[in-house]
Amino acid sequence: MHARLRTLVVTTAVCGSSLLAAPHALAEVEPGGWQSVSPTHTVQERGCGQVDGLTFRLTCSTASGDQRAERRYATYTGGTRQFEGSFRVTSLSGTRISLKQTFHESGSGPYFMLAVERGGRLYAVHGGATLSTAGTVGATVRVNTVHEVGREHRTYINGSLKHTYASPGGSFYDKFGAYRTNSGSGPATVEWSGIRFWRK
Amino acid sequence: MPARTLRAAPAVLFLALALPACSATAPTPAPSQPLRAALVTPTDIDLNWTDGRPDVAGHVLEFATAETGPYTPLQYLARHVTTYRHPDLMPHTTFVYRLRAYRGPASAPVRVDLPPGKPTAADENSPHDWLPPRDRPGPRGARHALRTGSAAPGELRAVIKHANGIHFTWRDNSSDEDGFLLEIRRTGGGAYEPVAVLDPDVDSTGLITLPDEKHASYRVRALVLGERSQAVRLTTGE
Repeated sequence: MHARLRTLVVTTAVCGSSLLAAPHALAEVEPGGWQSVSPTHTVQERGCGQVDGLTFRLTCSTASGDQRAERRYATYTGGTRQFEGSFRVTSLSGTRISLKQTFHESGSGPYFMLAVERGGRLYAVHGGATLSTAGTVGATVRVNTVHEVGREHRTYINGSLKHTYASPGGSFYDKFGAYRTNSGSGPATVEWSGIRFWRK
Repeated sequence: MPARTLRAAPAVLFLALALPACSATAPTPAPSQPLRAALVTPTDIDLNWTDGRPDVAGHVLEFATAETGPYTPLQYLARHVTTYRHPDLMPHTTFVYRLRAYRGPASAPVRVDLPPGKPTAADENSPHDWLPPRDRPGPRGARHALRTGSAAPGELRAVIKHANGIHFTWRDNSSDEDGFLLEIRRTGGGAYEPVAVLDPDVDSTGLITLPDEKHASYRVRALVLGERSQAVRLTTGE
Protein backbone atom coordinates (compact mmCIF):
# COMPACT_ATOMS: atom_id res chain seq x y z
CA MET A 1 0.00 0.00 0.00
CA HIS A 2 1.28 3.37 -0.92
CA ALA A 3 2.08 5.12 2.35
CA ARG A 4 0.56 8.43 1.44
CA LEU A 5 -2.84 9.98 1.47
CA ARG A 6 -2.94 13.56 0.39
CA THR A 7 -6.31 14.47 1.72
CA LEU A 8 -8.35 13.23 4.58
CA VAL A 9 -11.60 14.97 5.26
CA VAL A 10 -14.93 13.93 6.74
CA THR A 11 -13.40 14.64 10.10
CA THR A 12 -16.65 15.18 11.89
CA ALA A 13 -17.52 11.59 11.19
CA VAL A 14 -14.39 10.09 12.69
CA CYS A 15 -13.75 12.16 15.80
CA GLY A 16 -15.01 12.09 19.29
CA SER A 17 -16.71 8.75 19.67
CA SER A 18 -16.53 7.06 23.05
CA LEU A 19 -16.13 3.31 22.75
CA LEU A 20 -14.26 2.65 25.95
CA ALA A 21 -14.33 4.47 29.22
CA ALA A 22 -11.14 6.18 30.41
CA PRO A 23 -10.44 9.73 31.50
CA HIS A 24 -9.22 11.76 28.56
CA ALA A 25 -6.77 13.71 30.72
CA LEU A 26 -4.91 10.51 31.60
CA ALA A 27 -3.82 9.85 28.04
CA GLU A 28 -0.14 9.06 28.10
CA VAL A 29 2.09 10.23 25.32
CA GLU A 30 5.64 8.95 25.73
CA PRO A 31 6.69 7.71 29.21
CA GLY A 32 4.36 8.82 31.99
CA GLY A 33 4.68 11.44 34.64
CA TRP A 34 3.26 14.21 32.52
CA GLN A 35 1.34 17.06 34.08
CA SER A 36 -1.25 18.80 31.96
CA VAL A 37 -0.62 22.54 31.72
CA SER A 38 -2.38 25.49 30.10
CA PRO A 39 0.18 28.08 29.04
CA THR A 40 -1.10 31.50 28.08
CA HIS A 41 -0.87 32.73 24.51
CA THR A 42 -1.04 35.84 22.39
CA VAL A 43 -2.40 36.12 18.84
CA GLN A 44 -0.05 37.43 16.15
CA GLU A 45 -1.36 38.82 12.86
CA ARG A 46 1.17 40.32 10.47
CA GLY A 47 0.80 41.37 6.85
CA CYS A 48 -2.13 39.50 5.34
CA GLY A 49 -2.39 37.08 8.27
CA GLN A 50 -5.81 36.66 9.88
CA VAL A 51 -6.70 34.64 12.98
CA ASP A 52 -10.25 33.58 13.79
CA GLY A 53 -10.21 31.27 16.80
CA LEU A 54 -8.19 28.26 15.65
CA THR A 55 -8.49 29.12 11.94
CA PHE A 56 -5.38 30.79 10.51
CA ARG A 57 -5.35 32.44 7.09
CA LEU A 58 -2.83 34.05 4.79
CA THR A 59 -4.98 35.90 2.30
CA CYS A 60 -2.28 37.12 -0.10
CA SER A 61 0.34 35.61 -2.39
CA THR A 62 2.99 38.12 -1.33
CA ALA A 63 6.35 36.33 -1.41
CA SER A 64 8.17 38.80 0.82
CA GLY A 65 7.82 40.44 4.19
CA ASP A 66 6.18 39.23 7.36
CA GLN A 67 3.00 37.32 6.49
CA ARG A 68 1.78 35.37 9.49
CA ALA A 69 -1.26 34.26 11.46
CA GLU A 70 -0.20 32.50 14.65
CA ARG A 71 -0.66 31.79 18.33
CA ARG A 72 2.46 32.41 20.42
CA TYR A 73 2.52 30.53 23.74
CA ALA A 74 4.30 31.36 26.98
CA THR A 75 8.07 30.97 27.30
CA TYR A 76 9.58 27.94 29.09
CA THR A 77 13.15 27.54 30.20
CA GLY A 78 13.72 23.96 31.27
CA GLY A 79 12.36 20.49 31.90
CA THR A 80 10.48 18.49 29.30
CA ARG A 81 7.51 19.91 27.38
CA GLN A 82 5.00 18.29 25.13
CA PHE A 83 2.72 19.89 22.55
CA GLU A 84 -0.18 18.09 20.88
CA GLY A 85 -2.50 19.38 18.19
CA SER A 86 -4.18 18.44 14.95
CA PHE A 87 -4.21 20.54 11.82
CA ARG A 88 -6.06 20.45 8.55
CA VAL A 89 -4.86 22.53 5.61
CA THR A 90 -8.22 23.40 4.06
CA SER A 91 -6.76 25.37 1.15
CA LEU A 92 -3.25 25.90 -0.14
CA SER A 93 -2.81 27.72 -3.41
CA GLY A 94 0.57 28.91 -2.20
CA THR A 95 3.43 26.78 -0.94
CA ARG A 96 5.95 26.25 1.87
CA ILE A 97 3.85 27.45 4.78
CA SER A 98 5.12 26.87 8.32
CA LEU A 99 2.51 25.25 10.55
CA LYS A 100 4.23 24.75 13.90
CA GLN A 101 7.40 26.15 15.42
CA THR A 102 9.46 25.58 18.53
CA PHE A 103 11.16 28.95 18.91
CA HIS A 104 14.53 29.39 20.64
CA GLU A 105 13.88 32.74 22.25
CA SER A 106 17.30 33.07 23.88
CA GLY A 107 19.12 31.64 20.86
CA SER A 108 18.91 31.78 17.11
CA GLY A 109 15.13 32.08 16.74
CA PRO A 110 13.03 29.47 14.91
CA TYR A 111 14.79 26.34 16.12
CA PHE A 112 12.27 23.82 14.72
CA MET A 113 9.72 24.59 11.99
CA LEU A 114 7.21 22.10 10.61
CA ALA A 115 6.05 23.27 7.20
CA VAL A 116 3.96 22.02 4.28
CA GLU A 117 4.77 22.20 0.60
CA ARG A 118 2.25 22.44 -2.19
CA GLY A 119 1.22 18.85 -2.79
CA GLY A 120 1.35 17.90 0.84
CA ARG A 121 4.91 17.04 1.82
CA LEU A 122 5.48 17.92 5.46
CA TYR A 123 9.09 18.88 6.09
CA ALA A 124 11.42 20.30 8.71
CA VAL A 125 12.52 23.71 7.42
CA HIS A 126 15.96 23.42 9.03
CA GLY A 127 17.62 20.53 7.24
CA GLY A 128 14.72 19.93 4.87
CA ALA A 129 13.95 16.43 6.15
CA THR A 130 10.69 15.08 4.84
CA LEU A 131 8.50 14.16 7.78
CA SER A 132 5.38 12.88 6.08
CA THR A 133 3.43 13.06 2.86
CA ALA A 134 0.09 13.11 4.65
CA GLY A 135 -0.28 16.85 5.00
CA THR A 136 -2.13 18.15 1.99
CA VAL A 137 -5.29 20.07 1.61
CA GLY A 138 -8.01 18.46 3.63
CA ALA A 139 -5.82 16.09 5.62
CA THR A 140 -6.28 15.89 9.37
CA VAL A 141 -2.81 15.35 10.81
CA ARG A 142 -1.89 14.97 14.47
CA VAL A 143 1.38 16.46 15.67
CA ASN A 144 3.17 15.78 18.97
CA THR A 145 6.45 17.48 19.82
CA VAL A 146 8.41 16.39 22.89
CA HIS A 147 11.13 18.82 23.91
CA GLU A 148 13.72 17.90 26.52
CA VAL A 149 15.40 21.27 26.90
CA GLY A 150 19.15 20.91 26.64
CA ARG A 151 18.90 17.39 25.23
CA GLU A 152 16.51 16.54 22.38
CA HIS A 153 13.44 17.61 20.40
CA ARG A 154 11.27 14.86 18.89
CA THR A 155 8.40 15.25 16.42
CA TYR A 156 5.68 12.64 15.96
CA ILE A 157 3.29 12.75 13.00
CA ASN A 158 0.15 10.66 13.52
CA GLY A 159 1.87 8.86 16.39
CA SER A 160 5.05 7.92 14.48
CA LEU A 161 8.46 9.41 15.26
CA LYS A 162 9.55 11.39 12.19
CA HIS A 163 12.23 13.81 13.39
CA THR A 164 14.82 13.96 16.16
CA TYR A 165 16.90 17.06 16.74
CA ALA A 166 19.53 17.87 19.39
CA SER A 167 18.45 20.73 21.65
CA PRO A 168 20.51 23.43 23.31
CA GLY A 169 19.50 24.94 26.62
CA GLY A 170 17.87 28.32 27.05
CA SER A 171 14.35 29.69 26.73
CA PHE A 172 11.83 28.45 24.14
CA TYR A 173 8.18 28.80 23.22
CA ASP A 174 5.64 27.02 21.02
CA LYS A 175 3.86 28.68 18.09
CA PHE A 176 1.39 27.34 15.57
CA GLY A 177 -0.82 28.67 12.80
CA ALA A 178 0.18 29.66 9.26
CA TYR A 179 3.42 31.50 8.56
CA ARG A 180 5.15 32.25 5.25
CA THR A 181 8.64 30.68 5.15
CA ASN A 182 11.49 32.53 3.45
CA SER A 183 10.80 30.78 0.15
CA GLY A 184 7.04 30.42 0.48
CA SER A 185 3.84 32.35 -0.08
CA GLY A 186 0.10 32.12 0.54
CA PRO A 187 -2.79 31.99 0.17
CA ALA A 188 -3.39 29.32 2.75
CA THR A 189 -5.99 28.38 5.32
CA VAL A 190 -5.11 26.09 8.22
CA GLU A 191 -7.53 24.86 10.88
CA TRP A 192 -6.06 23.62 14.17
CA SER A 193 -7.87 21.60 16.85
CA GLY A 194 -7.23 19.54 19.98
CA ILE A 195 -4.43 21.71 21.34
CA ARG A 196 -2.91 20.33 24.57
CA PHE A 197 0.29 20.86 26.53
CA TRP A 198 2.08 18.84 29.20
CA ARG A 199 5.26 19.24 31.22
CA LYS A 200 7.36 17.11 33.58
CA MET B 1 2.57 24.34 -21.25
CA PRO B 2 -0.80 24.16 -23.02
CA ALA B 3 -3.45 22.40 -21.06
CA ARG B 4 -4.72 19.12 -22.44
CA THR B 5 -8.07 17.61 -21.63
CA LEU B 6 -8.25 13.87 -21.22
CA ARG B 7 -11.54 12.10 -21.47
CA ALA B 8 -12.64 8.96 -19.77
CA ALA B 9 -11.00 5.77 -21.00
CA PRO B 10 -13.05 3.40 -23.15
CA ALA B 11 -15.91 1.80 -21.40
CA VAL B 12 -14.31 -1.61 -21.82
CA LEU B 13 -11.82 -0.71 -19.10
CA PHE B 14 -14.56 0.24 -16.71
CA LEU B 15 -16.42 -2.96 -17.54
CA ALA B 16 -13.32 -4.99 -16.88
CA LEU B 17 -13.04 -3.43 -13.48
CA ALA B 18 -16.67 -4.03 -12.72
CA LEU B 19 -16.87 -7.62 -13.99
CA PRO B 20 -15.87 -9.36 -10.78
CA ALA B 21 -19.04 -8.00 -9.22
CA CYS B 22 -21.22 -8.97 -12.20
CA SER B 23 -20.61 -12.67 -12.70
CA ALA B 24 -23.63 -14.85 -13.35
CA THR B 25 -23.20 -16.77 -10.12
CA ALA B 26 -23.05 -14.64 -7.04
CA PRO B 27 -19.71 -15.25 -5.35
CA THR B 28 -19.70 -16.69 -1.89
CA PRO B 29 -18.75 -13.88 0.49
CA ALA B 30 -15.29 -14.32 1.91
CA PRO B 31 -15.17 -14.83 5.66
CA SER B 32 -14.56 -11.75 7.75
CA GLN B 33 -12.02 -11.48 10.52
CA PRO B 34 -12.23 -8.76 13.14
CA LEU B 35 -9.53 -6.15 13.45
CA ARG B 36 -6.46 -7.49 15.22
CA ALA B 37 -3.34 -5.72 16.44
CA ALA B 38 0.07 -7.10 17.38
CA LEU B 39 3.12 -5.42 18.85
CA VAL B 40 5.85 -6.73 16.52
CA THR B 41 8.61 -4.63 18.10
CA PRO B 42 8.37 -2.45 21.21
CA THR B 43 7.35 0.50 19.00
CA ASP B 44 5.81 -1.05 15.85
CA ILE B 45 2.21 -2.24 15.65
CA ASP B 46 0.85 -4.46 12.87
CA LEU B 47 -2.86 -4.49 12.19
CA ASN B 48 -4.82 -6.96 10.07
CA TRP B 49 -8.41 -7.76 9.23
CA THR B 50 -10.59 -9.18 6.48
CA ASP B 51 -14.05 -8.07 5.37
CA GLY B 52 -15.97 -10.41 3.13
CA ARG B 53 -18.96 -8.14 2.56
CA PRO B 54 -19.15 -7.59 -1.21
CA ASP B 55 -20.55 -4.06 -1.04
CA VAL B 56 -17.74 -2.62 1.07
CA ALA B 57 -15.34 -0.53 -1.05
CA GLY B 58 -12.76 0.02 1.65
CA HIS B 59 -12.05 1.13 5.20
CA VAL B 60 -10.87 4.16 7.10
CA LEU B 61 -8.29 3.19 9.72
CA GLU B 62 -8.39 5.49 12.77
CA PHE B 63 -6.15 5.76 15.82
CA ALA B 64 -6.19 7.49 19.17
CA THR B 65 -3.96 7.52 22.23
CA ALA B 66 -6.86 7.86 24.64
CA GLU B 67 -9.66 5.35 24.63
CA THR B 68 -12.21 8.14 24.51
CA GLY B 69 -10.50 9.74 21.51
CA PRO B 70 -10.26 11.97 19.68
CA TYR B 71 -9.60 9.60 16.82
CA THR B 72 -7.44 10.65 13.86
CA PRO B 73 -7.79 8.97 10.46
CA LEU B 74 -4.52 7.28 9.56
CA GLN B 75 -5.44 6.28 6.04
CA TYR B 76 -8.25 5.43 3.66
CA LEU B 77 -7.56 1.88 2.52
CA ALA B 78 -8.99 0.19 -0.57
CA ARG B 79 -10.90 -3.05 -0.22
CA HIS B 80 -7.95 -5.24 -1.16
CA VAL B 81 -5.80 -3.84 1.68
CA THR B 82 -6.10 -5.93 4.84
CA THR B 83 -2.89 -5.08 6.72
CA TYR B 84 -1.26 -1.90 8.00
CA ARG B 85 1.95 -1.24 9.93
CA HIS B 86 2.01 1.76 12.28
CA PRO B 87 5.74 2.29 12.79
CA ASP B 88 8.13 4.11 15.16
CA LEU B 89 5.46 4.84 17.72
CA MET B 90 5.60 6.90 20.86
CA PRO B 91 7.04 4.67 23.61
CA HIS B 92 5.00 3.67 26.65
CA THR B 93 1.86 4.94 24.98
CA THR B 94 -1.48 3.19 24.53
CA PHE B 95 -2.72 3.13 20.95
CA VAL B 96 -6.36 2.40 20.14
CA TYR B 97 -7.45 1.47 16.59
CA ARG B 98 -10.73 0.95 14.80
CA LEU B 99 -11.93 0.58 11.20
CA ARG B 100 -14.83 2.27 9.53
CA ALA B 101 -16.26 0.79 6.33
CA TYR B 102 -17.10 2.96 3.33
CA ARG B 103 -19.26 2.19 0.31
CA GLY B 104 -20.11 3.85 -2.99
CA PRO B 105 -19.67 3.65 -6.76
CA ALA B 106 -16.76 5.00 -8.80
CA SER B 107 -16.74 6.94 -12.06
CA ALA B 108 -15.30 5.65 -15.31
CA PRO B 109 -11.51 6.04 -15.22
CA VAL B 110 -9.38 8.55 -17.04
CA ARG B 111 -5.74 7.99 -17.96
CA VAL B 112 -3.15 10.76 -17.50
CA ASP B 113 0.39 10.74 -18.93
CA LEU B 114 2.33 13.68 -17.53
CA PRO B 115 5.26 15.27 -19.38
CA PRO B 116 8.69 14.15 -18.20
CA GLY B 117 10.73 16.23 -15.79
CA LYS B 118 9.79 18.76 -13.17
CA PRO B 119 7.67 21.91 -13.39
CA THR B 120 9.54 24.96 -14.67
CA ALA B 121 10.13 27.96 -12.44
CA ALA B 122 7.33 29.69 -14.31
CA ASP B 123 5.07 26.73 -13.60
CA GLU B 124 6.00 26.81 -9.91
CA ASN B 125 5.32 30.51 -9.66
CA SER B 126 2.09 30.45 -11.63
CA PRO B 127 -1.20 30.75 -9.76
CA HIS B 128 -2.39 27.41 -8.48
CA ASP B 129 -5.95 28.52 -7.94
CA TRP B 130 -7.08 25.29 -9.64
CA LEU B 131 -5.57 23.26 -6.81
CA PRO B 132 -8.00 23.65 -3.86
CA PRO B 133 -11.02 21.34 -3.86
CA ARG B 134 -14.18 23.25 -4.66
CA ASP B 135 -17.84 22.99 -5.50
CA ARG B 136 -18.10 24.65 -8.91
CA PRO B 137 -20.90 27.16 -9.37
CA GLY B 138 -23.59 26.58 -11.93
CA PRO B 139 -26.76 24.55 -12.41
CA ARG B 140 -26.88 20.99 -11.18
CA GLY B 141 -28.50 17.97 -12.69
CA ALA B 142 -30.66 15.45 -10.92
CA ARG B 143 -29.01 13.67 -8.04
CA HIS B 144 -29.75 10.32 -6.47
CA ALA B 145 -29.20 8.86 -3.03
CA LEU B 146 -26.20 6.58 -2.67
CA ARG B 147 -27.81 4.68 0.17
CA THR B 148 -30.74 3.52 -1.95
CA GLY B 149 -29.22 3.27 -5.41
CA SER B 150 -26.22 3.88 -7.62
CA ALA B 151 -25.11 7.44 -8.30
CA ALA B 152 -21.55 7.23 -9.54
CA PRO B 153 -19.80 10.51 -10.37
CA GLY B 154 -19.89 11.23 -14.10
CA GLU B 155 -17.95 13.06 -16.80
CA LEU B 156 -14.56 12.83 -15.12
CA ARG B 157 -12.07 15.11 -16.91
CA ALA B 158 -8.37 15.64 -16.28
CA VAL B 159 -6.42 18.68 -17.49
CA ILE B 160 -2.63 18.64 -17.27
CA LYS B 161 -1.48 21.92 -15.71
CA HIS B 162 2.27 21.24 -15.61
CA ALA B 163 4.75 18.37 -15.22
CA ASN B 164 3.42 17.53 -11.73
CA GLY B 165 -0.02 19.09 -11.75
CA ILE B 166 -3.42 17.75 -12.80
CA HIS B 167 -6.81 19.42 -12.49
CA PHE B 168 -9.80 17.09 -12.20
CA THR B 169 -13.49 17.91 -12.63
CA TRP B 170 -16.52 15.65 -12.52
CA ARG B 171 -20.31 15.69 -12.20
CA ASP B 172 -21.70 15.07 -8.74
CA ASN B 173 -24.65 12.70 -9.21
CA SER B 174 -25.27 11.87 -5.56
CA SER B 175 -27.36 13.69 -2.98
CA ASP B 176 -26.20 12.13 0.26
CA GLU B 177 -22.48 11.45 -0.05
CA ASP B 178 -20.13 11.88 2.91
CA GLY B 179 -17.38 12.79 0.46
CA PHE B 180 -15.45 11.67 -2.58
CA LEU B 181 -12.29 9.65 -3.04
CA LEU B 182 -9.88 10.37 -5.86
CA GLU B 183 -8.33 6.99 -6.65
CA ILE B 184 -5.14 6.22 -8.58
CA ARG B 185 -3.82 3.15 -10.37
CA ARG B 186 -0.22 3.65 -11.42
CA THR B 187 0.98 2.11 -14.65
CA GLY B 188 2.29 -1.31 -13.75
CA GLY B 189 0.50 -1.12 -10.44
CA GLY B 190 -2.32 -3.29 -9.22
CA ALA B 191 -5.64 -2.07 -7.93
CA TYR B 192 -6.90 1.48 -7.50
CA GLU B 193 -5.95 3.14 -4.23
CA PRO B 194 -7.27 6.32 -2.60
CA VAL B 195 -5.04 9.32 -3.18
CA ALA B 196 -7.26 12.12 -1.90
CA VAL B 197 -10.42 12.43 0.13
CA LEU B 198 -12.73 15.33 -0.58
CA ASP B 199 -15.69 16.97 1.09
CA PRO B 200 -19.31 16.42 0.03
CA ASP B 201 -20.45 18.40 -3.04
CA VAL B 202 -16.87 18.92 -4.26
CA ASP B 203 -16.61 18.45 -8.03
CA SER B 204 -13.20 19.97 -8.79
CA THR B 205 -9.76 19.44 -7.34
CA GLY B 206 -6.11 19.66 -8.26
CA LEU B 207 -3.43 17.08 -7.54
CA ILE B 208 0.33 17.52 -7.29
CA THR B 209 1.79 14.15 -8.19
CA LEU B 210 4.77 12.26 -6.82
CA PRO B 211 7.61 10.98 -9.03
CA ASP B 212 6.11 7.50 -9.46
CA GLU B 213 2.81 8.93 -10.69
CA LYS B 214 3.81 10.21 -14.15
CA HIS B 215 1.62 7.62 -15.82
CA ALA B 216 -1.56 6.57 -14.09
CA SER B 217 -5.30 6.14 -14.33
CA TYR B 218 -7.66 7.96 -12.00
CA ARG B 219 -11.29 7.67 -11.01
CA VAL B 220 -13.57 9.37 -8.49
CA ARG B 221 -15.71 7.47 -6.01
CA ALA B 222 -18.70 8.90 -4.17
CA LEU B 223 -18.72 7.43 -0.69
CA VAL B 224 -20.88 6.99 2.35
CA LEU B 225 -19.33 6.05 5.66
CA GLY B 226 -20.68 2.97 7.39
CA GLU B 227 -20.33 1.04 10.57
CA ARG B 228 -17.25 0.99 12.77
CA SER B 229 -15.38 -2.10 13.92
CA GLN B 230 -14.61 -2.92 17.50
CA ALA B 231 -11.68 -1.04 18.99
CA VAL B 232 -8.38 -2.77 19.73
CA ARG B 233 -5.70 -1.39 22.03
CA LEU B 234 -2.04 -2.02 22.65
CA THR B 235 0.60 -0.28 24.74
CA THR B 236 4.04 0.25 23.27
CA GLY B 237 7.27 -0.49 25.13
CA GLU B 238 10.54 1.39 25.43
